[in-house]
Amino acid sequence: MTSGGEAVLFWILAPVSVLGALGLLLVRKAVHVALGMAVVMINLGIFYIAQNAEFLGIVQIVVYTGAVMMLFIFVLMLIGVDSSDSLVETIKGQKIAGLLLSTGLGVALFAAIGSATFASPIGLKEVNAGGNITGMAVLIFGKYVWAFEVTSALLITAALAAMVLAHRERLTPRPTQRQWSERRFQVGKNLAGLPAPGVYARRNAVDTPALLPDGTPSEASVPRVLTAREQVNDPEPYAGAERAIEREIEEGTNR
Amino acid sequence: MHLVQLSASSAVRLAGAGAAQPASGVTSLAWLLVVLPLLGAAILLFGGRRTNRFGPALATVLSWASFGIGAVIFLAMLGRSADQRVEVLSLYSWIPAGGFQLEAGMLVDPLSMAFVLLVTFVGSLILVYSLAYMEHDPDRRRFFGFLNLFVASMLLLVLADSYLLLYVGWEGVGLASYLLIGFWNQIPANASAANKAFVANRVGDFGMSVAIMLMFATFGTVTFAGVDAGVAGANQGTLTAIGLLLLLGACSKSAQFPLQSWLGDAMAGPTPVSALIHAATMVTAGVYLVVRSHVIFEGTPTAQTFVVVAGAITLIFGAVVGCAKDDVKKVLAASTMSQIGYMMLAAGLGPVGYVFAIFHLLNHGFFKAGMFLGAGSVMHGMNDQVDMRRFGNLSGAMKITWFTFGIGWLSILGVPPFSGFFSKDKIIEAAFIGEGWRPWVFGGAALIGAAITAFYMSRLFFMTFQGEKRWPRDAHPHESPRRMTVPMIVLATGSAFLGLILGPTNAIASWLEPVTGRSPEGEPVIAVPVLMSLTLLLVAGGVALAWVQYWRDKVPVAAPAGSLLTRAARQDLYQDDVNEALLMRPGLHLTRSLVFFDSRGVDGAVGGLAALIGGTSARVRRVQNGFVRSYALTMLAGVVVILGAVWVVQ
Amino acid sequence: MIASLSGLTTEFVATKINYGAVLPMLVVFGAAMIGVLVEAFAPRAVRYGAQVGVALVGLVAAFMAVVLAVGHQGSTLAGAVVIDGPALFLQGTILALSVLSVLAMAERFDGIGADAFTAQGAAAPGSPQESAAVRAGATTTEVFPLTMFAIGGMLLFPAAGDLLTMFVALEVLSLPLYILSGLASRRRLLSQEASLKYFLLGAFSSAFFLFGAALLFGYSGSMDLGVIAKAIGTQSGMDGLLVPGVLLVLVGLLFKIGAVPFHSWTPDVYQGAPTPVTGFMAACTKVAAFGAILRFVYVGVGDSRWDWAPALWAVAILTMVVGAVLSITQTDVKRLLAYSSIAHAGFVLTGLLAFDRVGVSSVMFYVVAYGFSTIAAFAIVSLVRDGGSEATHLSQWAGLGRTHPIVAGAFAFLLLAFAGIPLTSGFTAKFAVFSAAIGHGATPLAVVGVLASAIAAFVYVRVIVLMYFTESGGDSVRVVPPSILTSAAVTIGVAMTLVLGVVPAPLLDLASRSALFLR
Repeated sequence: MTSGGEAVLFWILAPVSVLGALGLLLVRKAVHVALGMAVVMINLGIFYIAQNAEFLGIVQIVVYTGAVMMLFIFVLMLIGVDSSDSLVETIKGQKIAGLLLSTGLGVALFAAIGSATFASPIGLKEVNAGGNITGMAVLIFGKYVWAFEVTSALLITAALAAMVLAHRERLTPRPTQRQWSERRFQVGKNLAGLPAPGVYARRNAVDTPALLPDGTPSEASVPRVLTAREQVNDPEPYAGAERAIEREIEEGTNR
Repeated sequence: MHLVQLSASSAVRLAGAGAAQPASGVTSLAWLLVVLPLLGAAILLFGGRRTNRFGPALATVLSWASFGIGAVIFLAMLGRSADQRVEVLSLYSWIPAGGFQLEAGMLVDPLSMAFVLLVTFVGSLILVYSLAYMEHDPDRRRFFGFLNLFVASMLLLVLADSYLLLYVGWEGVGLASYLLIGFWNQIPANASAANKAFVANRVGDFGMSVAIMLMFATFGTVTFAGVDAGVAGANQGTLTAIGLLLLLGACSKSAQFPLQSWLGDAMAGPTPVSALIHAATMVTAGVYLVVRSHVIFEGTPTAQTFVVVAGAITLIFGAVVGCAKDDVKKVLAASTMSQIGYMMLAAGLGPVGYVFAIFHLLNHGFFKAGMFLGAGSVMHGMNDQVDMRRFGNLSGAMKITWFTFGIGWLSILGVPPFSGFFSKDKIIEAAFIGEGWRPWVFGGAALIGAAITAFYMSRLFFMTFQGEKRWPRDAHPHESPRRMTVPMIVLATGSAFLGLILGPTNAIASWLEPVTGRSPEGEPVIAVPVLMSLTLLLVAGGVALAWVQYWRDKVPVAAPAGSLLTRAARQDLYQDDVNEALLMRPGLHLTRSLVFFDSRGVDGAVGGLAALIGGTSARVRRVQNGFVRSYALTMLAGVVVILGAVWVVQ
Repeated sequence: MIASLSGLTTEFVATKINYGAVLPMLVVFGAAMIGVLVEAFAPRAVRYGAQVGVALVGLVAAFMAVVLAVGHQGSTLAGAVVIDGPALFLQGTILALSVLSVLAMAERFDGIGADAFTAQGAAAPGSPQESAAVRAGATTTEVFPLTMFAIGGMLLFPAAGDLLTMFVALEVLSLPLYILSGLASRRRLLSQEASLKYFLLGAFSSAFFLFGAALLFGYSGSMDLGVIAKAIGTQSGMDGLLVPGVLLVLVGLLFKIGAVPFHSWTPDVYQGAPTPVTGFMAACTKVAAFGAILRFVYVGVGDSRWDWAPALWAVAILTMVVGAVLSITQTDVKRLLAYSSIAHAGFVLTGLLAFDRVGVSSVMFYVVAYGFSTIAAFAIVSLVRDGGSEATHLSQWAGLGRTHPIVAGAFAFLLLAFAGIPLTSGFTAKFAVFSAAIGHGATPLAVVGVLASAIAAFVYVRVIVLMYFTESGGDSVRVVPPSILTSAAVTIGVAMTLVLGVVPAPLLDLASRSALFLR
C-alpha cells in the first residue's frame, strides 16, 4: 500500500497540480498558461517517480516540460503573440452548462471508480525486478511492437502535416541585392532603402520610429508587423529627453 | 357466424388448393412476361435520341408480346385440372442473409394470371391509344419508356411468390406512377401532385415494409406459401398487426380512406396514364394484396373488419366527391376511388366476397379504362378542356366516343346485362350476408353508394354528351383518329360482354377456386330478388335526378355556389386540410424542435424554451451557431446522460 | 501489463510476426512512405503522376495481399493484430473503396494538380501568396501519402486485438483526415474551420476512448480484448469499472461513425472538407469504425451487454431519427448527405445490436453497399459547378435533370439507393440489418428504422423532384466534364449499387461466411 512519505508527497503535490490545471483554464496570458501546463507536467513526472516508474517520470519531465513546453514558450516569445484571448463567453449558458456537465462527468466517474474494490497491487518492486527500463523495453519491443511501429506512421503524418500546413514553398527565386535596388529605382521610391529605426540616447530598439526632419515619427522606419500589432513605441519621451539634454548642453556652454 | 365461416373456409381451402408445383412447360417462360417490357423500358430510357423514331412502336410491340405469352400460359393453364393450376417458377436465390434464404420466384396461379391478362391486354390497348394521343409530345420516348416500366413492375407485383418480391414491384409501380404524374413537369402543380402521390405511397410502404419484417420475425419466411402455412400457429395480436399494416399499404396504393387524397391530384398526368395506372391496374393492387393475403385476414377478424370499414367509407366518400366535381377526370378519379371501395368491401367480407372483388376489379378495369380513354378523346377534341360545364351535346360530334362511353356508363351503373351489373350486384348481395348490425350497415352503404354512383355518373354523361352546347368559342369538337377509337371500342366490347361471359356461367368463381377457395353459400338478410329490384330502383332514381338537373334543365357555365356539402365535396371533403393538421404540422414541429436541440444542445435550455415555442425559422437559424465549444458540450452532455442513465438503472 | 511483466524478467523473446497476415498493412504503409520520398525528391512536374500511381498500385497490391492473407488467418503479434473473417472482409472493403476515393481525389479536370485540393496549404486564403502559388503551378500532392497513411490506420482499426493498438490505429487514421479536411481548394476558410473543428472534437473523443480503455484495464488488468472478455463474469468487486469503461470506449468509436449525440461535427466537416475527401471519410472511415465497434462489442465486452446495450439502443434510435429528420431542413447538398450518413450509421447500429453472427454479416454488407453509393454521390457533387466553385446549394441543382440527364440520373439512382428502394443495394442492406435486428429481439429498433427511412426517403425524393420537376434558376450551373478518373469512380459506384441490389447473393454469402470473429 501507499507508504507514508508517498502519501505526504501526494497530498502536497496533488493540490498544486490541480491548481496548475485550473490555472490553465482560467488565466488570460498565453505564457502563464504555458507555465501552468509545465507545473502540471512536472508534478506528473514526480508522481511517476514516486511510484517507482523512474524512466517514465524522467521522460515525462524531459519530453513534455523540457522539450514540448519550452518549444511552446519559445514560439510565444518569437512570434510575440502574447495578447490575451478574450474569455467573454458569447453563447448563453455555455459556461454554466459546461460546469454542470463536467461536474456530472466527474461524479459519474468517481462513483464508478469509488464503487470498485481493488485487489492489493502486486507492487512495482516485483514488476521492476528485471529493471524498470528493461521491463519497458520488453513490452515495447515485445507485445506492443506493432503499436510502436505504427506510431511511426503517426509521426511521419505529423511531420508531413506540419509541412503541408506551415511550410511555404518558395515559388520564385529569391531576388538578389541588385534586383532589389533596381526595383527601387524603377519605382522611384525610397531610393536609398527604408530608413533605419530611431536611435535615441535611451532607446535604439526596432519598435521606436526615427524622426523625420520636421520632427514627426517616420512610419517607414519600423517593421510593418509591429505597426499592425500596434506595438510601435511613441518616440516622444526619448526625443524629449534628447532635447532636454541638448538644452542642458546649450545652457552649459552659455554659462 | 364469423367463426363458422372461418373454419368452413379453411376446410374448403385445404381441400381445394393443390400444393404449388414447380413450373413446367410454357409456364417456365413466365419470366419473359416481366423481362420484355422491362427491356423496352431500358432501351427507351437509356437509348437516347436514337430510339426516338422507333421507340414508341417498340414499346407497344413488346407489351403485346407480353400479352401473347400471358395468353399462351393462360391457355396452358386452362388445359390442366383445377388442382394443377398453381405453379411456382423459381428464378434465383435473391437474398440469402444468414439463415434467411429468399428465392426470387414467380407464382403463376389463376389469380395472378387474371391480373396478367388484364394488365397486359388493357396496357397494350392503352399503349396503342397513346401512339396517337401523345403523337405531338416531344418527350414521347420517355413516356413510353415509363409506361413499359410500369407494365413490367405491375407484372412483377402480381407474379411475385413472396411479399418481398411483391414489394419490389409495389415500389416499381409507385415510381412509374410518380414519374408519369409529373410527366408534364413544366407545370408546378403537376410536380406537387407527383410529390403528394409519392408521400402518400411512402406511408403505405412503411406499412408494407414493417408488415414484411413482422412476417419474417413471426413465420421465418415471407413467401406466400410459407406465411399461409404459418398463420394457423401464429398469435392473434401479431396477425392483427400484420393485417392492419398490410391494409395501410393497400389503402395508400388503392387510394382508400384515409390515404385517398392523392388520386384526384394524380389526374395531372396524361390521360392514358390515368386510364391505365390510376384506374385499371395499379390502384387495384391494394385489392390484389388483400385477396392474396386472405389467409392472414381470415385469421384476424379485427383487421378484416377494418378492411370492410375502409372500403365502405371510401365508396361513399368517393361517390359524394364525384357529385360535386366539374373536372371530368376528377369525377372519374372519384368514381375509381368509390369503385375500389366496393372491391375492398368485398375483399374484407371474407370468402363470400373474394371472387366478386376480383370480378368487379376486372370489369372495372375495362369500363373505367374505356371511360378514361373516352374522356381523353373528348379532351383531344376540345383543346384539352376538362371542365364539363363547357361540354354538352357532344354526342353528335363524337359518335364513337359517345357510344363507347355510354356502354361504360351503363356498365358502372350496374344496368343488366352490362358487365358491372354482374359483379356490383353480387357485392351488394354479399354485403347483406351476415348477422347483427354488419349486413345492415355495410349493405346499406353499398346500396346508397350505388344510388349516388348512378347520379354522378349520369351527371357526367349528360353534362358531357347531352343537353345543349356550352362549348368555348374556339372549340371544334371532332372524332379522334382510328388508333384512339379502336382501343375504346375494344374496351367497350369488354365492358358490355365480359360480365355476361364470366358471371352467370360461374366461370370466374371456379377459375379462382384454387386460390380463394369455394365461396360458401349465404343468404342475404333481404331476399335476393327484392334486393336486386331495390338496387335497380335506386339506380333509376339516381339517373332520373341527374336527367332532371343536367339534361332537362339548363346547366350554368359558371359553377353555382352550392350547398355546404357541395362546397366541402369540391374540396375533397377537406381531406388535405385534415392531413395537414394531423400529419404535416406535428411533423413540422418535431423537425423544428430537433433542429433546435441539435444545434443548441443543452447549452441554452433557458432561452431554448422560448425559441421552441416561438419556433420561428429565423430564431432557429440563429442558434445553429457552429461553435466547436457547443458541439463539444453536446458530446459531453451525451456522455453524462448515458453514464448517468446506466448508473441510475443499475 | 502487470501480469505479463512479472513473468518476463529473464530472457527477451521476440514477438512472432505472421507477415502474410499483416502484409496488406505493410504494403499500404510502404506505399505511403514511398509517397513521402516522392514528395521529398521528385521534381514538381512528375509528382502528381507518381503519387497517383504509387497510391493506386499500393492499394491494388494491398487488396491482393488481403486475398492472400485468407490463408494466414489468426492472431499475430502477440494478439495485437487479429486477422480473421471480419477483419479481412472489412480490409478488402476499405481497400476497394479507397481505390475509388483516390480516383476521385486525383481528378484534375483541365488543371495541373488535383482539383479539389488547394495549391498551397500554408498560404492564407485569398492572399497574394495563394494566387502566386496557383500561378506557379504548385500542387498539394502530399494528400496522396496522407490518404495512404489514413488507409493504413483504417486497415489496422478493425483488426486490432487490444485497446492500445486500436487507439493507435484510431489516431493513425484520424490525423491525416484532420489535415485533408483543411485542404479544400475553394471556400478555404470553411475548410480550415472544418479541419480545426474535426481535430478538436476528435481529440475530445479520443480522450473519452482513452479514459474508457484505462477503466477497462483497471477492471481486467489487460488491454487485450480476449482477456477483458474472460474477465467479465469472473472478476468480482470491480463491476463498477466495466460499464463506464465500455461506454467511454464506445463514445470514442461512435464519434467516428457520427452517431448522435456525437455527430455535431459531421455536417460541418462534410461540408467544409474537399468533396472527394468527404466521400472518403463517409465511406472508408465508417467501414473501419464499424469494424472496430464490431470487434470491441462482439469479441471484447459482448457478455456484459445487458448492462450497456440499452444505452446503445438509445443512441441508435436517436441517430436514425435525428439524422433522418434533420436532413429535411438542409439546403446544402453536402450537409444533406452528411445528415443522411448519420441516419445510415443509425441503421447499421440496428444490425449491430442483433448480437449475432447475422448481425455481423448484415453490418458488413451494409457498409459495403453504403460505401460504394456514397463515394459515387460525393464524386457527382464535385462535378456540379457554378462558375469555378462547387454548386452545393440545393437551389442550384434545380432543373439539373433536364440540362444534364446522365449525371442527374446517376445521382437520382444513388438517392433512391439511400432511400432503400428495392433493386438498389440500399434496399438489400436495409433489409439485411433490419431482419437481423428483428430476428434477434431488436424489433422496436427495426420499426424505428423503417419509419426513419420513410422520413429520409422524403428528403431524397425532394432532391429528385428538384432536379427533374423544377425550373432551373439560371444557366450558370453546369456539370464539368469529368476525366476518366471520376467517371470510373462514379460508374463503379453506381454499378455496384445496382448489382448489390439485384444479385446481392455472392456478397451476402461472402459476408456471412466471413462473419465469425476469432476470439
